[in-house]
Amino acid sequence: MGLVKESSGAVHRGLRLGKLGLSITGSYLGYQAQNIFLGERQRDQRRRQFQTQSSRRIRAELGSLKGAAMKLGQLLSLQTQALPEEAIAELANLQMHAPGMHPTLARAQFKASLGKDPEEVFRRFEDEPFAAASLGQVHRAVTRAGETVAVKIQYPAIRAAIESDLKLLRSATLPARMTGYAPGDIIDEIQRGFLEETDYVHEARNIEFFRRELNGFDYLTIPKAYGDLTSERVLTMSFVEGEIISRFLERKPSQAVRDLIGTRLVELYYSQLHRLKTLHADHHPGNYLFQPDGRIGLVDFGCVKRINFDVSDLIRSCVGRTWRKGHKEAAHVLHLVFGPRVPYARARKMLPTLEALAASLYPEGKDADPLVHFGKAELLRNLAQALKKALRDKVTNPEFAFISRAELGLYSLLHQLNARVNVRETWRRCDC
Amino acid sequence: MKAPLHKSPPPRPRGKRIENKERTRQAILRAALDLFAEKGFYQTTTRAISRKAKIAEGTLFNYFETKEDLALYFFEQELAQIVDWYQHDKRVRKAGLPEKLFAIIHRLLERLGPYEEFIGAVYLRALQPSSRLHPLSLSAQEQNLRYLRFIREVLAEAAAEGEIPNLGDLGAYGFALFHLAVITYWLQDRSAGKENTLALLDRCLKLATHTLRKGGWDW
Repeated sequence: MGLVKESSGAVHRGLRLGKLGLSITGSYLGYQAQNIFLGERQRDQRRRQFQTQSSRRIRAELGSLKGAAMKLGQLLSLQTQALPEEAIAELANLQMHAPGMHPTLARAQFKASLGKDPEEVFRRFEDEPFAAASLGQVHRAVTRAGETVAVKIQYPAIRAAIESDLKLLRSATLPARMTGYAPGDIIDEIQRGFLEETDYVHEARNIEFFRRELNGFDYLTIPKAYGDLTSERVLTMSFVEGEIISRFLERKPSQAVRDLIGTRLVELYYSQLHRLKTLHADHHPGNYLFQPDGRIGLVDFGCVKRINFDVSDLIRSCVGRTWRKGHKEAAHVLHLVFGPRVPYARARKMLPTLEALAASLYPEGKDADPLVHFGKAELLRNLAQALKKALRDKVTNPEFAFISRAELGLYSLLHQLNARVNVRETWRRCDC
Repeated sequence: MKAPLHKSPPPRPRGKRIENKERTRQAILRAALDLFAEKGFYQTTTRAISRKAKIAEGTLFNYFETKEDLALYFFEQELAQIVDWYQHDKRVRKAGLPEKLFAIIHRLLERLGPYEEFIGAVYLRALQPSSRLHPLSLSAQEQNLRYLRFIREVLAEAAAEGEIPNLGDLGAYGFALFHLAVITYWLQDRSAGKENTLALLDRCLKLATHTLRKGGWDW
């Protein structure tokens, strides 16, 4: 059923092109697809832990998808074959990486967007970026007032590339859309999300929102955006300390610290769902910065999902398994998950999947271990299966495109942390 | 506008008359460019230029017969400036070839930026074989050769570093054509900050360098 029929010639060519570190077609998302293969060397170490077979399957899975379709795949894990959970983790960690910019280009883009050279507005500006961002790269700089800041510069013309990719995606998925396997509204939702991510002025507003709403968590640092040094393509924010997950784990943090961080991540997640009704939906490992004492820095607010249904009600129902009580209750839960479009008879088939998800997140029964062991990847597997089944049974809801992305990302992060978290208890604290 | 500086006595001291002439040429160009940027190319009269340059209107035509001559002189100045900048910018000299070439074209585009209308107007004319600005025109030849030699040198440096194979004259010619194409694109580019040109430039240069290094189209 795949969204895009595999064309080995094109994929092969894409791979070769991928080595260039840029895409000749100007396709930004196409570039993403190549990145998976490109990054192979760097990720060798991690991949070695996986079975050869599973990694071969990852390639096969991803190889049949291209460009934006691949991103869709990431969001929906839509292949029919069973995906190994590690592959799901891999999918969740797939990130948008724009081609790197040399200093001259970074400066040119800075000036094109802000109208001034970096030296005119900063006391110091480092030519070499210190991090890659989803759509560009981040440079360290010092403001005139002496504050250290991170300056995110977007690769030029990304937005146009994404737009043309989505146009292609729409025609490529026409058969899938006609048959209902890739509903048009999901593509709309993805388009909305991706395009929103390209506007840094919008992201600066998101940063301010989260900073204000989450300031009660003393372990959390969210950068401050500098409005006067921000434009659509340049975002200046205060510098956030910490290490990305892979480097943090190299320090071999104790289980206690990993559990603490895990619990905090879950707490932040539920707080966003319940209180903010808004979700930081880009759980790329690079967006989390950890410190040895368990403090967390959260950066990159490009992909934010505002939730348009009563998610608190849904989670409460999942914890309490209210669907077991009767038809009416079950119909209510399914309506929350799948929206008004999916008829009850079809949605009902998803109940066992919901049961499985609830079982792994909120264990019930007196003897059950209240802690969720994220290292076991059971949850990732269940979630992947749920998404797959939803797609196969055509019971998708665009509301969940980015929520699933956030969820997969979060669980994958917790999986890497090998954290043990009492999810039910953490949820209870947040739902008020 | 400053007259060219001569620190030590030049090998063949130029006469005061030549120096004055050069100074007037520069003053006219400066006045014209200022007016183009301020009022637009089409709104600027020769009278306004001569008034701003403080010369008689008739004298103006002794220096520049047409606006193409003005453009030719402008490009000549810009080229000299870019060669000079390139030779003294240590960071760019150390950069990889795609960045060097990017910097050269981008710098020129940045300098052209304020006079876009003027450049656009002469650019179309320049494609006609009768134009003095035409790549094959004799008036422009000297300047074209200067440009080609400069690019050939940049490419030869990269070849010596092993970045690309030795391309000789052909490489410089190829780049010159590309440069023209980029200016055409840039003139039409309506994206914010002309970022589409930046992206195009970056992609093409990286692709070309890669292709040359790998010896052909490996796909």
